[in-house]
Order: sequence, then C-alpha cells, then structure tokens
Amino acid sequence: MLKILVCVKQIPDVDLVKMDPETGNLIRTGVPTLTNPLDLNALEAAVQVKERLGGRITLITMGPPTAESTLRECLAVGGDEAVLISGRPFGGADTLSTSYAIVKAADMKGKFDLIFCGKESLDGATGQMASQLAERFNASQISCCCGIEEVKDGKIRAARTLETGIELVEATLPCLITVEKDKFCGRLPSLDNYLAAKKAPITVFTENDIDGLDLQKIGVPGSGTIVPKIYPPELPEPGQIIRTGSVRTDVARLMELLAGKAAL
Amino acid sequence: MATYNKITPEIAAQLRAVVGERRFFGKDDVDPNYSHDEMPIYGRYMPDAAVDAETTEEVSAIMKICSANKIPVTCRGAGTGLVGGCVPLAGGLVLCTRRMNKILAYDMDNLAVRLQPGVLLKDLAADALTHGLMYPPDPGEKTATVGGNISTNAGGMRAVKYGVTRDYVLALTVVLADGRVIELGKSVCKTSSGYSLLHLMIGSEGTLGIITEMTMKLIPSPICDVSCLVPFRDVESCIKFVPKIKLANLDPQSIEFMDADIVASSAAFTGSPIFPERVKNEDVGASVLVTFVGSGEDELDQKMIRLGRIAKEADALDVLVVATSSNKKSVWAARSGFLTAIEADTKLIDEMDVVVPVDKIPAFLIHIRSLGEENGIRIRNFGHAGDGNLHIYCCSDDLEEDEFKRRVKIIMDKAYAKCAELEGQVSGEHSIGHAKMVYLRESVGEDVFGLMGEIKKVFDPDCILNPGKVCDVSLTGREGRRQPC
Repeated sequence: MLKILVCVKQIPDVDLVKMDPETGNLIRTGVPTLTNPLDLNALEAAVQVKERLGGRITLITMGPPTAESTLRECLAVGGDEAVLISGRPFGGADTLSTSYAIVKAADMKGKFDLIFCGKESLDGATGQMASQLAERFNASQISCCCGIEEVKDGKIRAARTLETGIELVEATLPCLITVEKDKFCGRLPSLDNYLAAKKAPITVFTENDIDGLDLQKIGVPGSGTIVPKIYPPELPEPGQIIRTGSVRTDVARLMELLAGKAAL
Repeated sequence: MATYNKITPEIAAQLRAVVGERRFFGKDDVDPNYSHDEMPIYGRYMPDAAVDAETTEEVSAIMKICSANKIPVTCRGAGTGLVGGCVPLAGGLVLCTRRMNKILAYDMDNLAVRLQPGVLLKDLAADALTHGLMYPPDPGEKTATVGGNISTNAGGMRAVKYGVTRDYVLALTVVLADGRVIELGKSVCKTSSGYSLLHLMIGSEGTLGIITEMTMKLIPSPICDVSCLVPFRDVESCIKFVPKIKLANLDPQSIEFMDADIVASSAAFTGSPIFPERVKNEDVGASVLVTFVGSGEDELDQKMIRLGRIAKEADALDVLVVATSSNKKSVWAARSGFLTAIEADTKLIDEMDVVVPVDKIPAFLIHIRSLGEENGIRIRNFGHAGDGNLHIYCCSDDLEEDEFKRRVKIIMDKAYAKCAELEGQVSGEHSIGHAKMVYLRESVGEDVFGLMGEIKKVFDPDCILNPGKVCDVSLTGREGRRQPC
C-alpha cells in the first residue's frame, strides 16, 4: 500500500490582510484563515492516486492550534490521518526550520513513498518548501506535475507542464511532487466525510513529542533568514477619470493632459 | 397612437437650467449605451438627450418641463435589464439615476435604510453588512441599481426564504408624470390603509412614476451559512427533490437548479470545474445547490444531516458540502457567472424568465429542449428551483442574426404558450419591458391587460413615462416608435 504524505498550510485570507502603516507588520488579528489553495490542488492529486492505486494519506501541517481546521478540511476530502506540529518553540520559523520540523515529525509516522505539497503558499510565496522537503526526505522531485501515469516497482512516471509542451519523466520513490493547479482542481467533500472529519482524531506533536528533534533547528533559532522589515510596494500614481459631462470636452481635456506630459 | 414633441433648443435650455451644463447631454453627447440594455437583440434606440439627475427636486422640475412639452422620458439605472425596459423606444429624454447613489441613513431601531435609487445592489449589500444587517434580495446582477430592482421587482436566489424586492420596500418617494412628488408607504411593518399604490409602483418599470428615494427593510445578518450541492442522475428526480426539502422544514435560504449542460459551460468558461460532472462513477444529470443559514455550526450540521437523509431517500448521488470560504467563493462565483458563461460561448442570445409551479419544471424543460432540437437552436438554462423561476437562453452560435431571430420567435411563441398551459407566468423577475409585452397580453388576457392600460392612463395620461413598455400599446403600429438605430 502506498504511503502518501500531503503537506498543507493554514494561511490568513490574503485578500483581507492589511499592513500596519506604522510598524510594517501584517495585521492578522481577526482575519479569517483558509487552507492554502495550492495545497488543496496537491491534496487532490494525492487523492486521485489513492483512488486509482490504493494507499493511505497522511496530512501534516505546522501552525497554531487553529490549524486543526485546515487538517479537518483536508480529512474531509480524502485524508486518512492528520498530524499537527504545534508549540511556541516552532513559532517564527522560516522555510529552513519548517522543513526540518516537518520531516522530523513525518518520520514519526514512518517512511513515505509519495510526498505532495503546493508549489508555494499564497502568504509567504517563497516557493522554497518543496525543494527543501525533497532534500531532507532524500526524495526525488517532480515539479509542475500535470498528470501521474503510473506508480510501480519503486518508480513513478508523471507528466510535467513546460512552456514548450509536456514532458514525461520517471523518478524513483520516494518522490516529492508539486502540481499544476488547473490539472488538479479540488473537490467538494461529501457530507458523510465532512461530518466524520469533524470528529476525527488529530495527532498533535509538540517539541517534546518528536524523536531526536534539535531545538536549535526549529523556530527562530533554526531559521536561516531574518525579515528585518516588511513594507508595501510603492503605488503607481492613481489614474484620472475625465468626466466633464461632454464627450467633446472629455477628449479636449485628454488631449491637453497628454500634450502637457509630452506624450503627443 | 401617441405622438410626441422633439426636444427643441428652448426645451434643452430649460433642462440645462435644471441640472446644469455638465449633467445635460445633447444628442451628440449621449452615451451610445443608452440605446440598449443587456439585450441589444431587442433593438437599439437612441434618445434625443439625456440628463443625470441628482435630487427629487430636479426630477420633479424635469418632469414638469417634459410633461408641458409632451416629451417622452425613459428612466435608466445601470442598464442591466434583460427585456429592453430602459430603452427609449420613442426617443425623447433618458433620465439617468446613476448619480443618485447615496445611502442616506440607517434606522437601526426599525431595521431600515433610506437611500437613493442609483445605489448599486452590491454597494447596499456590502454597506448593510458593516452595520450587521443584511439586505435579503439577491438578484444575480449585482451591479444593477436598487431603484432598477424595485422597478422590476427583482427576485434572486434568496427568494425562497426571504421573498423578493417587493417584500423589502417600506416607502417610496415618487415623481409623477406631471412633476408632482408623492410619498408612498411608511417605515412600518404592516398596513391596511387603502389601495396600495406603493405595490403598484413596485414592478411598474418606470411607466407610472419615477422613484427618487426609497426606504428598504433590512434584517439582522445571519451568523453563519453553509451550502450543499445535491447531484442527481436526471432532471426529473432532481426537481422532485425540491418540495421534499421544503416539507422537511429545513427552511433553506436558496435552492438553485443547474443541469449538466450549464455546468459544462460554466466549467469551460471559468476553467474551474467546481460543480462535478461525475459523482461516484455516474454522470450527473442535474443538481440543486441548497443554502442554509443559522446561528451556529451545530444548527447547520443538524440541517445538513436531515438533508442527507432525505437526499438518500430521493436517490441522490451524494450530498457535497460547501463550507469553507474558498469553496463558497468558487461555487457562488461559478453560479453567479452562469449567464456570463453562456454569453461568452455564443454571438447572440435571447432569453425567457418564466416562472412555473415547481412540480412543472421538468415538463417545461423537456418541452424547451425539444423546441431547441426541432429548431436547431442550442438552449442553456438554470434557475431558482425553489420558486419555479427558470432562466432559459437561446444561443445563436453561428447563425446569422435574422435567421436566429426567426427561429427564436418560433421557440418563444411555443414556450410561452406552454408556460401558460402549465399555469405559469411570463416573468419571474426580469419583467416585461417591450420585449415580452405581447406574451404578457396573451398570458393575462384582454380584460386584465386593458385594466393595466387604464391604470397607466390615470398616472400618465399623455404616455410620456417610458412609452411602449409593459402594457402601453401607444406605440403599436410603429407610428410613434422610431426604427431601431
């Protein structure tokens, strides 16, 4: 039976996050959360593999206790078990320390044949996690996957979307896969699964529950990057709407402005 | 036959004096879009002039001028109508309310809001939410004006639970054809005080008066909501499920119907197949999307469990839950985009908006499908299953316009006859305009149609308000009606 790991992340609704103009910090308080949409595409790919070839899907995430709702959402659409890595020492982690914590926690659940994750998260959008995880899992990696043809004899054959066409590749297991979102649109959960997921047990790993975890490699101490400042991009000059009430006057006014900017 | 006068330079000067130079548009400066609504297939008619009004007083002054000079006046909001309602068939003046777009005051004690007619539906809905309130009517076209919604008595998806626009109009300020200003209704919950001219004005499409201010009822915003998509093998079993939802006392907010064709069109258009075409290895023939609102998650879970039970008894393929914010966004964006998806797929469309008894929906849809096949016209449809309101679209594809119109007329004539046979009504929420007048007349009969005409004459003896619409046959014979431009 294939053992499949799907890495997911709860993010703030990026459409609703605002920046504190004084401090430059993101204001997350009171902002609704959602599951990173690209992770749901990865989960859909994993569920399709499971439906075709059998297997068991383990979901894993790192975050505050509220991240449990993301795991339950993913359980409802095809996950079999869920792991939440949570605790203060994990806070402030960059991708380096996050990937370390995820691999150490995943090891507690055994070895995985296939690992799926979104190609990036919509909040951080570094796009680094997949490759870091592949390295730490000692797994091969297929990015931009648009179709999985076969998983057999310790190998996977899959199609990748390139700018110039489709590339068919073969890789050895374990293999980490990131997917093209249009090819793996998420599904709606059935009612039975939705209700069952609400009551499903979730394994919570704190820093004390993970074997061999080096506390210097998690959270802020384990991070290789520092974010000294966040600031919004400079906004372009706002456009001007000319509406004098007469098309002729509008055009005349436009011509004046263009002439003033030496655009004519 | 009605005859009207032209807007002379002298009359134009009077109108300019009311609204100012910048809000008066002479013939050459009128926005060409004022010649049509969202259905240009019904003809384009340019007005001789247009004004952007801002106050009741201005509208009154304009009507006094137009009444004295017998100038036809067509009121226009956002121009999102689908039956040619805001099209100036007889030329004259277009009076646009787009600048009357202020939300004036909330009455939190009586749960009401006072606003101008040019406020867009989406703006009212969003603004009310910031006060913890909801404006329940939810027509699909969110960029329509609320004034337009009142004029057409727009319905929308939440009509199953909350009713239609009519049910939320408490009071109106109306300018009559001769410029008099009247107040209809009050901010009260009930009334038994003579003929309801308020309700006569609602849905009258600018033919009896011009709405310049209104007070609308609001309700406390529901705390949470969830939707369920219930797929079936075929349309018949899908529709049979609808009354069962109501009988189960589940009190849904909306029950939307979609068949396999519209789901395929939507998926092709959005590139996001959120509505499944296959469930449990079976093709989905049709689905209903049911929405519940409540005060907590447990309450909604209980409703879904009961829905699941009756869905199983009704042989549904599954019950799929739309609970996360992302899924809600995707599902409602796809549902709201059905019309856009249809339009994107074809050169021209014609549409009908009938309402039939819910149990007659399958019979009507089967009839429509066969009419489409007989006449070589591709048909797409969707609708509000909970109240029997169906939106049927004929798509021209590669047909030339004249041939398309010829075939569509055959389909429409037979379809409206079938609607009448099934005890349905010509329009559920899009109204009559000029495009559906002939079908209204056939549907209600000469006595009722004649009474409507008499009422029109009481309000507007010279037929200057939106001529040629609803029941006004003064342009019939084309003597007062110009050729389309």
